[in-house]
Amino acid sequence: MEAIAVGRELGSRSGGHARVALFGHDVRVLADVLAGTGTEVLLADDPALAEYTPDGYGQAARAVVESANPRLILVAHTSQGYDLAPALAGAMDLPLVTNCLALRFDGERLIATRRLLNEKVQAEVEIASSRPIVATVRPGSVKPAGPSAGGTVSVMPVRIDPSKARTRFLSIERPQVQDIDIAGADIIVSAGRGIQKKENLPLIEEFARALGGVVGASRPLTDMDWLPKTRQVGQSGKTVRPKLYVACGISGAMQHVAGMKDASLIVAINTDPSAPIFEVAHVGIVADVLKLLPATLKELKS
Amino acid sequence: MPLNIVVCLKQIPNPDLQFQIAPDGKDIKRDALNYKLNGADEYALEEAVRLKEKSGGRVVALTAGPKRTEQMLREALAKGADEVIRIAFDEAAAYDVGKVSRLLAAAIRTVPHDLVLTGVQSDDLVNSATGGLVAGLLGLPHASVVTRVEVKGNGLEVACELEGGLQRLYSIALPAVLTIQFGANTPRYAPLPAIMKAARQPIKELSPTALGFASWDAVPLPYTFAVRELSPPAAKGHAEMITGTVDEQAKKLAQFLRDKGFGRR
Repeated sequence: MEAIAVGRELGSRSGGHARVALFGHDVRVLADVLAGTGTEVLLADDPALAEYTPDGYGQAARAVVESANPRLILVAHTSQGYDLAPALAGAMDLPLVTNCLALRFDGERLIATRRLLNEKVQAEVEIASSRPIVATVRPGSVKPAGPSAGGTVSVMPVRIDPSKARTRFLSIERPQVQDIDIAGADIIVSAGRGIQKKENLPLIEEFARALGGVVGASRPLTDMDWLPKTRQVGQSGKTVRPKLYVACGISGAMQHVAGMKDASLIVAINTDPSAPIFEVAHVGIVADVLKLLPATLKELKS
Repeated sequence: MPLNIVVCLKQIPNPDLQFQIAPDGKDIKRDALNYKLNGADEYALEEAVRLKEKSGGRVVALTAGPKRTEQMLREALAKGADEVIRIAFDEAAAYDVGKVSRLLAAAIRTVPHDLVLTGVQSDDLVNSATGGLVAGLLGLPHASVVTRVEVKGNGLEVACELEGGLQRLYSIALPAVLTIQFGANTPRYAPLPAIMKAARQPIKELSPTALGFASWDAVPLPYTFAVRELSPPAAKGHAEMITGTVDEQAKKLAQFLRDKGFGRR
């Protein structure tokens, strides 16, 4: 819905319009929902599109681009989106810019705003081409498209040749939950790489206990198996909205922030004053958590 | 089934550092940066070496970058790569992922490849685009954000991570391109003898002409690309900072938490 919002705006500003391509099987209901944004929905329905596969959806996307010949192809920068978009650009020899916070046209040029180097540098890049440009839009960058009148659904015939499918869907695997659900906690104290050693986890646990909360983690810690995957906060983990979120030694990469930015109160502790976590935190402390937490515990207990 | 594996690596400035913008606004200041192997690429390299150890075959580590990347390639040799290739593309920043991917694809065509691996994203440019672009350019099937790879018959079975902790399993025919996710394995440390040996091993260098281009500026692209401007990001908002010595900070933090109703017994 966010990509649709970007497309609608760029379309109306440049005197064109946005169309939405929907791939799937038996997804007429979803097509009608998307048409509620006032856009023309091109529905490509095929049994081979019931589950996402890079090959099947790639074939469908190429067919849409060939028939619609758009100026710009927008895809959400999700794990599925950045699976699809670069391969589409490669296969059709199209220009590509990904993970964009903002997009605009300056004459013939597409200007993309991106973030680099752990959010510490912003970049504006430009691409000009006579061919359709593929761009992915970073989730959470704009408001989702609201309702608007005048939308339509037209069925676009695509033929997906299953014999050409080199990737085949097997199954979806769900994580096994044998742990507390941190998404339900009011107070979360999360640890990141700044705690340096697994041996320092008890300090985080003690701090969480003192506040009556539970322990969460950023991705690197669950990757190293210091904590179970169920404790991971972020895009590939849990999205949490606690009353208090204390980020201990977490730099605040986009993937993590996406999972905790809506907490009512965010306290961040990090040694790096330029860490992006201080952008989303309400209260920040430039300090070593390994020194600050014991001192704070002492204060809380006194 | 022995696999010829090509793993694409990137050397990046350590993203934990602080960065300044160069005076022309087109790049960061690079005179005092320290560089490292991109995080996700470490897992891609490890996955390549493990697959070779299990199934037999060869691992070729490939990069496009200036001379400094030789250090990273030697690290790859020490960790189990059999051959390393540097595309001598000297552009320090290389902001255009489309161009770099075309160079990588051209180089991959020159070596046997049943499987091409790379990291899911580079931590400097965060495009998550190289693997998919290379797959599209070479006409190979692909899968992204891969956390598990198993050889099954003539192909692979892979698990791909989705948002919210779900995994999608595919079977995929070879040759193929996979982008490997952080945490897919536990990367090894290079043993000292291997490091010593790697220091003496050759690094194959590819010039533009070796890839069929008159120069690096003559790589055919269906577009023009330019960096307009780099800038420090405008802070969306900024935390109210608690300053002072650690003890003072601790006192103020404890007080603040109590005032907000937390930490009361």
